[in-house]
Amino acid sequence: MSALLGNPMITTAALPLLLGIALGLFARFALPAASPVLTLIWAALLLFFYWDTLGPPALPPVAASQKLIYLAFAGIIIGLLPERPAGGRAASALAIVAVAAAFLWLGWRRIAVGSLDLQMIAAIAVGLLALVGAAIVTGKQPTSSSVEEPFLAPAAVMSLSLAGAIVSVLGASIVTGQLLGSLAALIGGWCLAQYLATLRGGSAASAGRGTEFLLLYAAATVLIQVALLAPKANPVALVLSSLPPLVAVLLRGPLRFLLPGARPLRPLIAGILIALPAMLAILTAIVWAPHGAALGFS
Amino acid sequence: MRTRKLIAALAFAGASMLAAAAHADNYEIDGQHAWVTFTIKHGIYGVAHGQFEGVKGAIVMDKADITKSSVKAEFDVGSIHTAFDQRDSDLKGPDFFNAAEFPTISFDSTKVEKVDDKTGKVTGNLTISGVSKEITLDVKLLNEAQAPWDATLTKAAFSASGKVSTADFPMAKAANGFGLGPEVDIVIDLEAVKK
Repeated sequence: MSALLGNPMITTAALPLLLGIALGLFARFALPAASPVLTLIWAALLLFFYWDTLGPPALPPVAASQKLIYLAFAGIIIGLLPERPAGGRAASALAIVAVAAAFLWLGWRRIAVGSLDLQMIAAIAVGLLALVGAAIVTGKQPTSSSVEEPFLAPAAVMSLSLAGAIVSVLGASIVTGQLLGSLAALIGGWCLAQYLATLRGGSAASAGRGTEFLLLYAAATVLIQVALLAPKANPVALVLSSLPPLVAVLLRGPLRFLLPGARPLRPLIAGILIALPAMLAILTAIVWAPHGAALGFS
Repeated sequence: MRTRKLIAALAFAGASMLAAAAHADNYEIDGQHAWVTFTIKHGIYGVAHGQFEGVKGAIVMDKADITKSSVKAEFDVGSIHTAFDQRDSDLKGPDFFNAAEFPTISFDSTKVEKVDDKTGKVTGNLTISGVSKEITLDVKLLNEAQAPWDATLTKAAFSASGKVSTADFPMAKAANGFGLGPEVDIVIDLEAVKK
């Protein structure tokens, strides 16, 4: 068992994918939609993968990588807060403060140096895009109960995580790559279970706004860390990786016309559109990888 | 007469103190003649070698009472080289030495013990990626002499060795993932200029 858990391919891909599918089925058949219990299960799984990838929490956290699990925990706390009134403005404000605080906490040593190199510019852009994305995704109430709506935020976090994982690994930050890969697979499993239900004529279960926030916050803070500290991470790919949440929001409004009328195709096309910047990010990172796709210690 | 004796006593005491203080010699590490090297097990295969440059720091050597000696040194993480550029840049990344966040590695001695006239043990805090861990180095004074080409230049040469574990530092997870270490053997050879 420990040998299985020690295999990065198991913990980064297979295990989270299976757990995501199981969670998707559990949410469909055993829990009401957007239940706090579901949010707690997501939170527990998230912390498990953080622990497994980064090791036990260090107290006090010194390096940025040691702070990530605490940020995830903060995201969980915020995610578990009750829904706010006033059209989600309070949720948006909280998301902005949370992302900005994470950026400053993770990057204060780099910021203190004061050098505005290409990597720092990319990190600031990633931070701002993550901030805007988190604010809109968590603050904007869905305007319709369309078939694709439950997929939009999960697909955005999955795309961000998957692109971030590959950009991170190619940027010589393997551990954060593994963590983002686990997140992508976990959410991918969830989306797969929900999509199969949609194909069978049912409706997809919503992960809930709290869960959507904690997942997006976790993925965004890891991506910010990669942007701040991975010297080989491609700056353009990093910026592209942070765009899927914005595309997800646009699909609720101006880009909605791109979705087909056929019910089973709408979540699929929405997912592909959300993943487009992520695909470009992966392509950019692979084509312009400083040393190709190989790692120095391989 | 009493006043004269008092002045003489004070002068003698002062001279004695100065003489005692004079036993402590100050040295500045000569970065051009300093090699911080390490070896670490590489997976199931062999042993990987690496080296840091840009070493700077100060040594206080008290020959009369070696326990009053001290060492303070730091070197650039960005200077690491392992005979393969790609691996070097990976080692500077956040999984290992995290150069962007912690550009230097430092050592501050906390205790110096004499073993014999030429050897001793220097214990101190090694700080890597913001995490400090106490380590003990076996140190040997190789030589201390005036430079034959410059009468104003006196240098001392030291050789030190010790062990650290990757498990004690934030790189533990990545090192374990790549099958590196966990034990790292360190060998330091350096020359220091007497001030």
